[in-house]
Amino acid sequence: MMDVGRHPRIKLLAYSEVEEVSGYVGNFRVKVRKKARYVDEEECTACGDCVDVCPVIMPDEYQMGLSSRRAIYIPFPQAVPSSYTINIEECLGVQPIACGKCAEKCDKGCIDFDMKDEIVELEVGTIIVAVGMEVYDPTLLDEYGYTRFENVITTLEFERLVDSGGPLGGRFARPTDGRVPKRIGFIQCVGSRTERRGNSYCSNICCMNTVKDSLLLRDHYPEIDITVFYLDMRAFGKGFEDLYKRSKDAGVRYVRGLPGEVKEDPETRNLLVTVENTTAGRLEEHELDMLVLSVGLEPREDSKTVQQLLSLSRTSDGFFLESHPKLKPVDTPTRGVFLAGCAEGPKDIKESVTQASAAAARAQIILNQDKIPIEAITPMIDLDLCNFCGRCARVCPYGAIVDVDPKRKVSPRVIEAACAGCGTCSAECPVGAITQRHFGDEQFFAQLEAMLGEGPEEKIVVFACHWCSYPGGDMAGVSRLQYPPSARVIRTMCSGRTGERLILRAFALGAPMVLVSGCHFADCHYINANRWTQRRVERLWDRLERAGIRPERLQLEWISAAEGQKFARVMGELEEMRKKVTPEEIEYTKQVLAEKA
Amino acid sequence: MAEEAEFKCLRCGHEFIAPYDKENPQEHTCPKCRSNSVRRIKT
Amino acid sequence: MLYRPLGKEVIGLPEGERIGVFVCECGLNIAGSVDCEAVRDYAERLPGVALAVRNRYTCSDPGQEEIKKAIVEHHLNRVVVASCTPRLHEPTFRKCIYDVGLNPYLLEMANIREQCSWVHLHDREAATAKAKDIVKIAVARARLLEPQVEMEVPVTKAALVIGGGVAGIQAALDLADAGHQVYLVEKEPSIGGKMAQLNKTFPTMDCSI
Repeated sequence: MMDVGRHPRIKLLAYSEVEEVSGYVGNFRVKVRKKARYVDEEECTACGDCVDVCPVIMPDEYQMGLSSRRAIYIPFPQAVPSSYTINIEECLGVQPIACGKCAEKCDKGCIDFDMKDEIVELEVGTIIVAVGMEVYDPTLLDEYGYTRFENVITTLEFERLVDSGGPLGGRFARPTDGRVPKRIGFIQCVGSRTERRGNSYCSNICCMNTVKDSLLLRDHYPEIDITVFYLDMRAFGKGFEDLYKRSKDAGVRYVRGLPGEVKEDPETRNLLVTVENTTAGRLEEHELDMLVLSVGLEPREDSKTVQQLLSLSRTSDGFFLESHPKLKPVDTPTRGVFLAGCAEGPKDIKESVTQASAAAARAQIILNQDKIPIEAITPMIDLDLCNFCGRCARVCPYGAIVDVDPKRKVSPRVIEAACAGCGTCSAECPVGAITQRHFGDEQFFAQLEAMLGEGPEEKIVVFACHWCSYPGGDMAGVSRLQYPPSARVIRTMCSGRTGERLILRAFALGAPMVLVSGCHFADCHYINANRWTQRRVERLWDRLERAGIRPERLQLEWISAAEGQKFARVMGELEEMRKKVTPEEIEYTKQVLAEKA
Repeated sequence: MAEEAEFKCLRCGHEFIAPYDKENPQEHTCPKCRSNSVRRIKT
Repeated sequence: MLYRPLGKEVIGLPEGERIGVFVCECGLNIAGSVDCEAVRDYAERLPGVALAVRNRYTCSDPGQEEIKKAIVEHHLNRVVVASCTPRLHEPTFRKCIYDVGLNPYLLEMANIREQCSWVHLHDREAATAKAKDIVKIAVARARLLEPQVEMEVPVTKAALVIGGGVAGIQAALDLADAGHQVYLVEKEPSIGGKMAQLNKTFPTMDCSI
C-alpha cells in the first residue's frame, strides 16, 4: 500500500471517480472527478488536531460502525494518501462556514473550505478494472437475528473486533456486556449457495476465513469454545487443508448443518441455535455467547455504471464477464480493458494478486508496442453512389463520419481511427453506397444464397453479433444445451450491421423465419448502435405487414454472451414458429419481394 | 415523464402496456414469454 | 496513422478461387456427433474448393503445418477451417496462413463445434447435415473474401487502474515497476479496499496492511 503512494510512476487519484471514457484501445480518453477533500492532501501531516475539535460524530465505516469518527476524518491510521478528508455531507457547512473549528485548529493551514471538485482528463492506452466487491448484508436473513440480536455479528465486524487497531483496541469482547465470550459459533454460507435469499454461487473465501478466525481465537483466547456450522468445508487452495486440519486439531468443533433458527435468551443475551447435525443425524441445540455470520461476497452496486462506461458485460450473478472463462480470464470483450480481483468474481487475496499481475502483463502487451493494428473492418464509401443524405454520419455512434452536407452536396469522409467497425452506416445507407470491409453485402448475400439454396423452408436464418449473441450461441454449446438443428447463424460485428437489404434478401430466398439478435442495450459494444437495429426491425415489421407478410416471421432478441440458456430457448421457440410457416406463405413472400427488387 | 404505449409480443401474441419514450428507446421484453420481439401497436 | 500491408503477397491473387477446407475432428468433440469424413467429402465437391482435408486437431502444430504445406503445394488462395468458434481460434489460423504469405483476411471459420456438434449431441445425422451446410455457407463467403490492409494506431504509454483494493494496487505496482505511467483511481479517501479491514489473512496468517 505504502509503495503506491511513493512510486514515481504512479499517480494516485484517491477520493475520485471515473465519469467518462471515450476512445479505443491504445487511445482511451478518461475524465475523472476528483472530489473536494477540503484538506490539502500534500500538506496534511495527519496529526489529528482537527479531529478533536470537530463536533460532528458519525459511525465509523472502517470499524463497521462499531465505533465513531468525526466529519473530518482519516479512514484508518495507515491510510494512503495520509491525509484527512471532510465529508461535506456531514460537515455543519462550509458555504457559509457554519463551524470552521478545524480550520482554526490546523496549524499548517491545510483546510480549505473553498476547494472544489476537479475534473482530471487522462489519456491512457489500457484500462484495468479492479473495482472489487461488496460484502453480503445479512439483515434480510431474519432467522439469524442479525441486527435484532446484538451478539450476532458478521465476519467483517469480527475482523474489526479482534484487530489491535479495532474499536476495542484488540481486546476481544462481545457487544452486549464487553466480556470475552465463552462459547462462540460461526455460521457458514450466509448469503451464498442459496436459491432463497442471497446468492446462488459459492463466495469462495468464507470457509477459509472462518478457519483463520478460529485459529486466531485459539491463539489468543484458548479458553473460548468454538463451533462452526457448515454445509461443506471448501479448503481447496495451497496450504488450506493444513490450516483446516490445524483448526480441527486445536479443538474447533465442526458441525455439518446450517442452523434453521437463532433465538436470544433475553436475560443472558446468549443465543440459542437449533441445527440438524447431518453427520450425526440428530437435532441439536447449542447455547452460544456470540454468533458470527460468515457472509459472502457480492458484485458492487455501481457495477452497472462501470459496465456502461467501458462497454463490458456481466454474468447473471452480476460480476464482470471475461472474454473466455479458461483462455482469456482477464481480458474483457472491450479490447484494451482487463479485469483484476473480485470485480470478475469472488476470490481471496492470493488469487486477486495473481489475477492483477496477469492483467498487468496483458496490459503490457499493448503498452510495450508503439503501434497496434486495428482490424480492417472500416467502411468504404462509393462517392459515385452517395447522395449526400448524411444518414451515415447521423447513425455513427463514434462521430467517425464527417464533412457530409446534404445542402451543399459535400460527401462524407471516414475517420478510420475513430471507427470501431460496427457497420451500422453501411446497413443504414439508403443507396447502398457504403461497404464495410470484410463484411460487405455481397459476402452476406453469398452466405444467404448458399444457406437457402436447398430446403430453405427447413432453416432459420439467425443474424448474431460478434460480441454477445454469437458468443451466447457458443455458450449454449459449451454448456451442451441441446436445441433443434434448424438454425443457421451469420455473424456480424454488431446487430447494427443487419440491414434491411440482408433481412429482405433472406425472405426473398425463401427463409421461413429470420432472427436478428444483438447485445442487450446496456452491453452494446458500439455505444448505442443496436438502438438502430431495434428501430430498423420495427420499421420492417410495418413494411412486411403492408406487403401482406406476417411480421412475426421476423424476430428480434437481445442475448448476452453469458446467456447460452436464452439462446437455446429462443432457438426452440423459433423452431415451433417455423413449423407453422406454410409453403404458400413462403412462395407469396418470394413473389412479393421479387417484384420489389 | 415517460409515456405509456400498447405493445404486442410477436412471439406469443400477448398484449400489454409498458413505458415508451420515442426519443430514448428502451429494450422491451414480453412479460409473459420473455421475448424481445415486442411491437408497439400504433393507434 | 500508418497502413501496414499484411500479406507478403507470395501468392498471386485471385486467378480463380482455390479454396482449402480443413475439417477438424477436435478429438471426439466434433467427430463424436458429426461424420467429419462425410463433411470433408462434401466440401471437396463444393465450387471453388481445390482441396479438403480432415484433421484430428487442426489447431495443433501438425494441423497448422498441414494448412501451410497445402497453401504452398496446392496454390490455395482462400482457407476455410471448419472447427470451433472463430472467437477462439480465428487469430490462430489468421496467423497460420499469414506465415506462408496469405493475407489473414482470406480465412473463414465454419463453427461446427459450439454451434453444431455440441448442441446436437444425440442426432448424428442432423448434426452432420448441418455441419455440411455450415461449411457450404463458409465456402460461399470465402469465395468473396478479399485481402485487407490493416491500419495501425499509436499507443499512449500509460494505464488507468480503476479501484485501489489489493488487486488494483498489485496491478498498478506491476505496471509502474515495468516502466509505465499509471493512474490509480480510488473512490474512497484511501486505497486499501476491503483488505485493509482484515485483521490477519489466510493462509499465512499475516497482517493485511
